[in-house]
Amino acid sequence: MTVELATRLIDVLGALLLFTMLVILASGQLFRAIYAVALQAVFLGIAGAVLAAATGNPDLWVIAGITIVVKAFVLPWLLIRVVRTVQISREIEPAIPMTLTLIAASGIVVLAFHLNASLGPVRQTITGNALPVGVTLILIGVLVMASRRKALVQMVGLFASENGIFFTAMAISQGMPLIIEIGVILDVVLGALVMGILVLRVRSSVDTDIADLESLKG
Amino acid sequence: MERTQHIVRIATETGLLVLLGPLVTGYVQKLKARLQCRRGASLLQPYRDLAKLLRKGTVRSDTATPFFRAVPALVLAATVTAATMLPVLWAPSGPALLPVGDSILLLGLLALARFLLAIGALDAGGAFGGMVASREMTVGLLVEPALMLAVFSVAVAAGTTDLGELAARRDSLAALSWQAPDLLALFGMLILALAETGRIPVDNPDTHLELTMLHEGMLLEHSGPGLACIALATHVKQLVTLTLVATLFFPPGLARGLAPPEIALALGAFAAKVLLLATFLAVVESSYAKLRFFRVPQFLGLGLVSAFLALALRVL
Amino acid sequence: MDGQPPLTRIVVWLGHLLVLAGALGGAAFALSVLAGGAAAPPHLALPRLFPFAEMSLSVDGLSAFFLVVVALVTAAAAIYGPSYLGAHAKAPVLQTFALAAFVACMALVCCAGDAMTFLLAWEGMTLASWVLVVSDPREENARAGLLYLVMAHAGTAALLVVFLTLADHAQAFDFAALRSAARGLDGRTRTALFMLALAGFGAKAGVVPLHVWLPKAHPAAPSHVSALMSGVMLKIALYGIFRFGFDLLAPASGPLPASWGWTVLLLGSASAVIGVLLALQQHDLKRLLAYHSVENVGIILIGAGLAMVLGGGRGPQPLATLALAAALLHTLNHAAFKGLLFLGAGSVLARTGIRNMEELGGLARRMPWTAWLFLLGAIAISALPPLNGFVSEWMTFQALLLGGVRLGGASGLLAGVAASMLALTGGLAAACFAKAFGVTFLGRPRSSHAEHARESPAPMIAGMALLALACIALGLAPGFAMPLFDRPTAELLGGLGASAVVTARGPLVLTAGGPVNGLEATAISMTVAAALFALLAAAAWVVSGWPREAPRRLAPTWTCGMTPTARFDYTATAFAKPLRLIFAAVYRPRRQIERETGPSPYVLRRLAYTGEVVDLAETMIYARVKHWVNATAQEIREYSTGRIHGYIGFVLVTLTVALLVFARP
Repeated sequence: MTVELATRLIDVLGALLLFTMLVILASGQLFRAIYAVALQAVFLGIAGAVLAAATGNPDLWVIAGITIVVKAFVLPWLLIRVVRTVQISREIEPAIPMTLTLIAASGIVVLAFHLNASLGPVRQTITGNALPVGVTLILIGVLVMASRRKALVQMVGLFASENGIFFTAMAISQGMPLIIEIGVILDVVLGALVMGILVLRVRSSVDTDIADLESLKG
Repeated sequence: MERTQHIVRIATETGLLVLLGPLVTGYVQKLKARLQCRRGASLLQPYRDLAKLLRKGTVRSDTATPFFRAVPALVLAATVTAATMLPVLWAPSGPALLPVGDSILLLGLLALARFLLAIGALDAGGAFGGMVASREMTVGLLVEPALMLAVFSVAVAAGTTDLGELAARRDSLAALSWQAPDLLALFGMLILALAETGRIPVDNPDTHLELTMLHEGMLLEHSGPGLACIALATHVKQLVTLTLVATLFFPPGLARGLAPPEIALALGAFAAKVLLLATFLAVVESSYAKLRFFRVPQFLGLGLVSAFLALALRVL
Repeated sequence: MDGQPPLTRIVVWLGHLLVLAGALGGAAFALSVLAGGAAAPPHLALPRLFPFAEMSLSVDGLSAFFLVVVALVTAAAAIYGPSYLGAHAKAPVLQTFALAAFVACMALVCCAGDAMTFLLAWEGMTLASWVLVVSDPREENARAGLLYLVMAHAGTAALLVVFLTLADHAQAFDFAALRSAARGLDGRTRTALFMLALAGFGAKAGVVPLHVWLPKAHPAAPSHVSALMSGVMLKIALYGIFRFGFDLLAPASGPLPASWGWTVLLLGSASAVIGVLLALQQHDLKRLLAYHSVENVGIILIGAGLAMVLGGGRGPQPLATLALAAALLHTLNHAAFKGLLFLGAGSVLARTGIRNMEELGGLARRMPWTAWLFLLGAIAISALPPLNGFVSEWMTFQALLLGGVRLGGASGLLAGVAASMLALTGGLAAACFAKAFGVTFLGRPRSSHAEHARESPAPMIAGMALLALACIALGLAPGFAMPLFDRPTAELLGGLGASAVVTARGPLVLTAGGPVNGLEATAISMTVAAALFALLAAAAWVVSGWPREAPRRLAPTWTCGMTPTARFDYTATAFAKPLRLIFAAVYRPRRQIERETGPSPYVLRRLAYTGEVVDLAETMIYARVKHWVNATAQEIREYSTGRIHGYIGFVLVTLTVALLVFARP
């Protein structure tokens, strides 16, 4: 696989990742957001595979595989199980109006691409739009966490941000050292488990609103 | 000589769009039925409906003005004029001989058709006409900026808004020229196409409840041949929208000359693109529920942001 | 005019005829100047009114073009005026004089060749229109007139500063001297002066956020004067911006500073969107039209700003010319269709006495000419083909795409956003006029005034028809009007004239870039499109009317089986509700519902609904400024001791300070 073809494929995958990110941001239903983040992980895995084929780095194959298995199947399955067990309402309530979040997301994208030039000196294996797209994904993932009330949606935002970190790392260097990649994934799995337990226990009302935690203040 | 040839080409393409419009609707209905485990009406049912309406009498509201009688003809004329702008089978090999092909003029003509329908709905008076005119104009104005951004993001690369030229310039590099902005613009356009063709999740074309109507409600007071004109205009508008998406994003397959094999290939390519997009419409209609009217802006906002990002990625 | 004494009638008719003759003469003169090519602009020295300033008139391409705009609407208003003034007008003779003075001052502003003439005529224009605004003695009109005077003079103050600064540098007042003096200024002073001029002219033109006086003052005047104020006076303010931006303050060579163009473009986009959003929520027909003027001024400024950005070599020259031609064409178009719409609204007001469209309805059958001419104006202002509004918006879109977006980078993205804002305003305008036309003219009459309305007299219809013809002509054959813009664009931007760029392929086809390679591909022909449309409509009409043996009958509108009355018709408030909710952040709507129920909560006796949509500029800016000014004035008032010695002491202190300041070595 030539570098040119790899660049083009990464470009297209970057666009697909951006679009799934938008769907997560704009979705009004939990399941749609969870499926979107699973799809995002699939795209990420494919990107990892493309990079592995282009650079010949065996670690990337492993990372791609783990990403697809864990982040596209296991974690979403966990989330869906929690949703079904606790029977929380499937609507996602935004903490700030949807228009504002969409404008903020657009602003983040424009900013990331505009500043692409000054981020240039960072060494990149595959040039092109991969770096700004990665930065955008991270920031919009955090935006999702900041602008939603439900705990589960914030988890989805965390996963999405995580995807962004992976994409950025893959794009810049030859992927992070394998041990760090596995460590980060384990962190995320741990976070998901903790959140799942918390949600299952904090079942006082019909749905879990993070704002309710404020009432625990002494 | 060349000019007459050009005129004949445009007439053929427009005639093709007008004739095949109801067939595409029939296909979408049939596919929806199959997906819902029904047999569904025949593919040619829309044609039969049009023929039936042409034979029927007209009932007109007693508060309507004489203008009301002209609305169906005007709406059909506007939609078919918009249809002449699209390159269906042929892409020009040099600068267009006749200046009929601009995408902004196309969008303007479709907006004119919508405006006239809304005026007609208000003309008959009554609550339904006003309500549905208000909703349709609202959805229309939410779609316009996003459409403009999507068209611009494609036109910037090609350097022109003329659809024939655009298709010709992108055709040669089609397989290699798909970039991230194209994908985002395509996703945005697909969302907007659902709004422009009046399909779920924006509008339900099969509903009989006036309170859930957007487009259908404007047809309530029309009957007989007038309703046939407007129904045909709706079919043509749907096909125009799908062909616009195909022209902007899937240009290869357009013929350059008059050789029969080229034309057959172009016809096949056109049919394939339209069928693919029609399948998308049918699948989306069968998979989702209609959105509450005040959720539609959020849905269209996704299309707007997609189109904006497409332009941003193209330009930055 | 039947109720007035015969002498009054004769004077009023004569006055209006004189105005009409003046308009026609002025139009002829202006057209001859525009056709003059590169000939020197006619110059006329005026008698010296002041010892220090020479006064003169100088009519170059830009002035001549704006004279044409003035003449077009004045002619229609002059034909319309006498019948409109009717039996109940207060002081019709005074109004006629004021109208004549108003039009004369506007023409003088266009033709002014030096600062004094300009300022005198500008002030005369304000005062004459103020007389007309307060001619109907009601309290809201008096307040509107006061706000108008305050805003106008604030703008004039800014203009005074600019003119006097330049005159100080030039030691003379005529434009040629000011121009050469401005060449010697440094960049920052130049930009500061331009921004000040923009603020001054913007206050008169109704640019957001200085637009608040417009929706109060324009509806207060008689309708033909409203047409002149909206259709022409705002354009005179824009003339000022063109004159300063492209001519007086322009550097000797090279492009204009980028900040100028982008500021104008952004202000234009904001005005366009905010103007039309606020227009949507109005139910007073004339206020709605006044807010639309804010919108269209914004659209003109988008074209002008783009021309400033692209001119002088920063972008391809033909595209700068295209942008400027688009702005100028929209000026002419807006004058035509806004004039038509205001005259139509006036016709409705004259016959029914009602401005609130919620009390009208069903007028299309009772006033058919007014209704269909109004519909024509509505289609034109909504930028729908095949009329003239679409042509200028098409040209603006092409300039934004081929010129603005192709600049690339963040500026390209801004141009793209401006284009989407422009598309949004087109859609919003169409929705607004569907509401305005539908609720006012269609359906059933909602009040007895509407029910007993009759068609307006012939002169009023004639005035409207004149402007309607202009709309149709400019829509179907805009290429023939392109030579009008040759001289202004060549003089302001250099390079090719507008017709060489836009009608490079003949007068029936409009191209986007003319002779530049690749840009001539984008082209439309309004004539061909309209011909196709007419042909297809005729064909559809024939085909749908074919089965003649099918029965036709009338029946009441379906209202779920109940007998339809006027209360079933959708109200304007309801029509605009979806947009009120979607754009709630801009409107901050408030609503209050009071229910009065009978013995059981399900039996509703009375329902009172109060809804309010405020203009954010008014609440956030004007109310605060007014409050601050009042508070400061109260504080200062504390210092007036009421004793003579205090005042004399104050004078002494001021004189000493002035001595210190000016006598420093």
